Amino acid sequence: MPSTTETTAAVRDQGGAASAAPPGPPPSRVRRPSRWWAWGFLAPVTIYLAAFYAYPLYRNVELSLREYTVRSFVQGGAPFAGLDNYRTVLTDPAFGPTLTHTVVFTAASLAFQFTIGMALALFFYKHFPLSRTLRALILVPWLLPLIVSASTWSWLLNSDSGLVNAALGVVGVDPVNWLTSPGWSLTSVIIANVWIGIPFNLVVLYSGLQAIPAEMYEASALDGATGWQRFWGITFPLLRPVSAITLLLGLIYTLKVFDIIWIMTRGGPTGSSATLATWSYRLGFGNLLPEFGPGAAIGNLLIVLALIAGLVYIRIERRQQLR
Amino acid sequence: MTGLSRRRRLAAVAVIALAAVTTSACSSSADDPTDGGAYLVWDPYPQFADDSDWVALLKKCGTSAGVTVERTGYDTTDLTNKALLAAQQGNSPDVLIVDNPVISTLAEAGALTTTDDNKLDVSAMEKNLLGAGQSDGKTYGVPIGANTLALYYNKDLLTAAGVDPATVTDWTSLTTALTKVKAKGKKGITFSAIGTEEGSFQFLPWFWGSGAQLTSLDSPQAVSALTLWTDWLKQGHAPNSVINNTQTTSWQEFATGDYAFAENGTWQLANAEKLGFAYGTIPIPASAGGPAPAPTGGEFVSIPVQKKTGRYETSQKLVTCLTNADNLLTTDTTLSYVAPVAAVQERQATADPKLKVWVEAVRAAKGRTGDNLGTKYPKISESLWTAVQSALSGGKSPQEALTAAQSAAATR
Amino acid sequence: MTTSTPRAWWKTGVGLVLTGLMLFPVYWMINVSFTRDQDMRATPPHLFPTNGTLDGYRAVLDQQLPYLGTSFLVGLGTVALTVALAAPAGYALAKLRPPGGPALSFVLLIAQMIPGIIMAMGFYAIFLTLGVLNTLPGLILADTTLAVPFGVLIFTAFMSGIPDELLQAAVVDGAGQLRTFWSVVLPVSRNSIVTVSLFAFLWSWSDFIFASTLAGGGDHQPITLGIYHYIGNNNQQWNAIMATAVVASIPAAVLLILAQRYVSMGVTAGAVKD
Repeated sequence: MPSTTETTAAVRDQGGAASAAPPGPPPSRVRRPSRWWAWGFLAPVTIYLAAFYAYPLYRNVELSLREYTVRSFVQGGAPFAGLDNYRTVLTDPAFGPTLTHTVVFTAASLAFQFTIGMALALFFYKHFPLSRTLRALILVPWLLPLIVSASTWSWLLNSDSGLVNAALGVVGVDPVNWLTSPGWSLTSVIIANVWIGIPFNLVVLYSGLQAIPAEMYEASALDGATGWQRFWGITFPLLRPVSAITLLLGLIYTLKVFDIIWIMTRGGPTGSSATLATWSYRLGFGNLLPEFGPGAAIGNLLIVLALIAGLVYIRIERRQQLR
Repeated sequence: MTGLSRRRRLAAVAVIALAAVTTSACSSSADDPTDGGAYLVWDPYPQFADDSDWVALLKKCGTSAGVTVERTGYDTTDLTNKALLAAQQGNSPDVLIVDNPVISTLAEAGALTTTDDNKLDVSAMEKNLLGAGQSDGKTYGVPIGANTLALYYNKDLLTAAGVDPATVTDWTSLTTALTKVKAKGKKGITFSAIGTEEGSFQFLPWFWGSGAQLTSLDSPQAVSALTLWTDWLKQGHAPNSVINNTQTTSWQEFATGDYAFAENGTWQLANAEKLGFAYGTIPIPASAGGPAPAPTGGEFVSIPVQKKTGRYETSQKLVTCLTNADNLLTTDTTLSYVAPVAAVQERQATADPKLKVWVEAVRAAKGRTGDNLGTKYPKISESLWTAVQSALSGGKSPQEALTAAQSAAATR
Repeated sequence: MTTSTPRAWWKTGVGLVLTGLMLFPVYWMINVSFTRDQDMRATPPHLFPTNGTLDGYRAVLDQQLPYLGTSFLVGLGTVALTVALAAPAGYALAKLRPPGGPALSFVLLIAQMIPGIIMAMGFYAIFLTLGVLNTLPGLILADTTLAVPFGVLIFTAFMSGIPDELLQAAVVDGAGQLRTFWSVVLPVSRNSIVTVSLFAFLWSWSDFIFASTLAGGGDHQPITLGIYHYIGNNNQQWNAIMATAVVASIPAAVLLILAQRYVSMGVTAGAVKD
């Protein structure tokens, strides 16, 4: 009984630490006929992808390449428009500012979510009384439907009856028009989005930390390394694969975010908090008279952005594997 | 050797999974609307549960038409997309109830039948209300109830500030009243200027009340209307939060008792009774005096296009039942709406004298998609609310904002 | 030993403060759920629901409880399907590295970028043909798309850390691929399974767009649609909306705490070995 616990424990401890594992014998992969096996294991997900993602993706591309009106959306027969919808979007005066907002929103959200999530994961790494319960409670924001959490934030940030301004008033700071001034609206939606994203980063990074072998720390403790040195020397490098995937997924989810912004500011005032995702939604669905073509074109531009990020990720991964 | 059997096992798993999908498919195909059976009704009233009067009425109309009715309530913003999608897939409900500006969009999409096809009788309906459901001389639906905007006021607060609401008849007297209220340390007026259709809906009484037309957003009259709102914000008569307020938020602000006036709709009447202070209503004043034309709100009942045209006959019976005088009275009382038929309006006003103001307001109201704007309205409206937002948030002057709006509305 | 030393309790204090900060908006939601309409926009806002009302909860307890059951079933179904699809895929991509594997990971990345509403529209057409509109299996199939790409990527990242020697040892013992996967890879990957399950559950629990498009007309509606009973055409009952969210969170939060306990147990078992 104790022996089995020991083996599984040792194995678990090494999970995720492969990239830094001591260069033992070259990884002779589990026999060759495994290629068929590999696709056997991949079959369910491949079938699922083909069945349920292919059609929506095709729809999104098709919508962007034709000139759809509400009439042709329902009745069919929209004329092929080539790249017209893309041209419309790219030459729209709103494109530049919206792209900038998207970049700022994504970069700021990612930076804060990741840093705070990492700090919390490290904080919760060593057990202390109530630590599990508290860690679970931090996930509660994820249980709330977005309409509720985003509305709560706009409640807190309301110019006149919001708690944040009331608190600022107590310490003698003038009220800020968080949601209603073009200068602050983007900051406000970033704050809310960071809040929503922290639990995700915390959970994934925490599981990553759990997979780092305790022996690594013990060895460095013998060497007399400080906590800071331990973090940069052991934790951070060993956590790199998990960090990379967390950031990549975070990037994709953040690029896609529209409901938080939509509920809090509708992308306004005057487009000051509009991102590509909210713009796409506004064109395609947030309007009495939908413009599906340009809406879908923006959606596809976002997919291209994510593709670029994915390529960068794969390059970095490959370089690390070669090392 | 064992590999083969394992592969077979995998295949078996896949087959079972497929079978599970298909079985559940078969079991649920019974409620496909084209197979006859239940008549589907979609409405934007998710607040009415299955045990509400509204659903009871639907069932009753179904029974008298000899069919069963299956009803679904959708969130109103969601319903437009859902209706378009269902039309595209040939899966439209038999009866669709939607917000009135959506009618012109769905009609443009060819998703709705006209009264020529479905033989609905709309002669009793008030012309100004029916307008929103008409384009190019065809009628695509029947109003089920109407609402519009007026100014609610806090009686206690106005008395304390020495303002007689009867003297508030034009913009000057309104602003004077706001100044007096502010001198007492209270807040003037709240409304909703959010960057959606709701914002345009709330701005239109002032816009039309200035004499401006939707075909020319940058006229001097239009600028004067936007200047009125902008100045209120600058002078602190209206809170900054209006830029992001929905009509519910602005009602909550009014409900605190800190605001003298609130621009809000007929539908708040039921909530108004729950206020902690005495309230009254006056029409929204026009710039030069007298009531301003407010936009009509409210929903239309329509019969979407079906593959099986034989279904229209029963659908027509259902709609006629829903919109007969007695049922309109019940429905519009639960919704806090004004009926679209003059005779029923009289009965409402007799039953509840407070409704008299609202009946008059609805009679004076204008459809948004009227003036044959039809599907041009959504673009104009988007430009308009954008202009309101940029002027109120201080990005542009009212003149600049509306000039930009006009060129945006004209180029699209 | 990690028993309650004073230092550990000091950390509990800090932990409480941090959790409190993170959960403040949740507190605000609870506060609003008890607030009367006339106090909702009071300036300054009321920190506690003095003169509170239970109207919101009354409405919710009368109308919303059946929805919770649906949300649970959909959540559990989504978790099962997600893990069943993603874990084998993660293993294959991490350890068997078939040609074309990277391309598949790439497709998974793109798949997550398709806007939810477009996915929902696509599903509507597919489900209409399959006849699974407004059914539980339909909603589970749709909600699974939220978590499968995430699951595959996470499993790949974590499973690539499993030492090859361990798998070889299993093969030497005569285990076939399925046995190796089932009795070596899966037990070792418990942490990542729990992580993926957790998010699959959370995503399906809070999904609105699929529920509204694909299950709006049926008897099986999840709790996120229940909220729309309080969002009328012109008016919203905010105390009831917030009360729904509170009522919906409690059972799920309990589940989360239990799940976390389970993860930590596994982890402590490892830490205690010396």
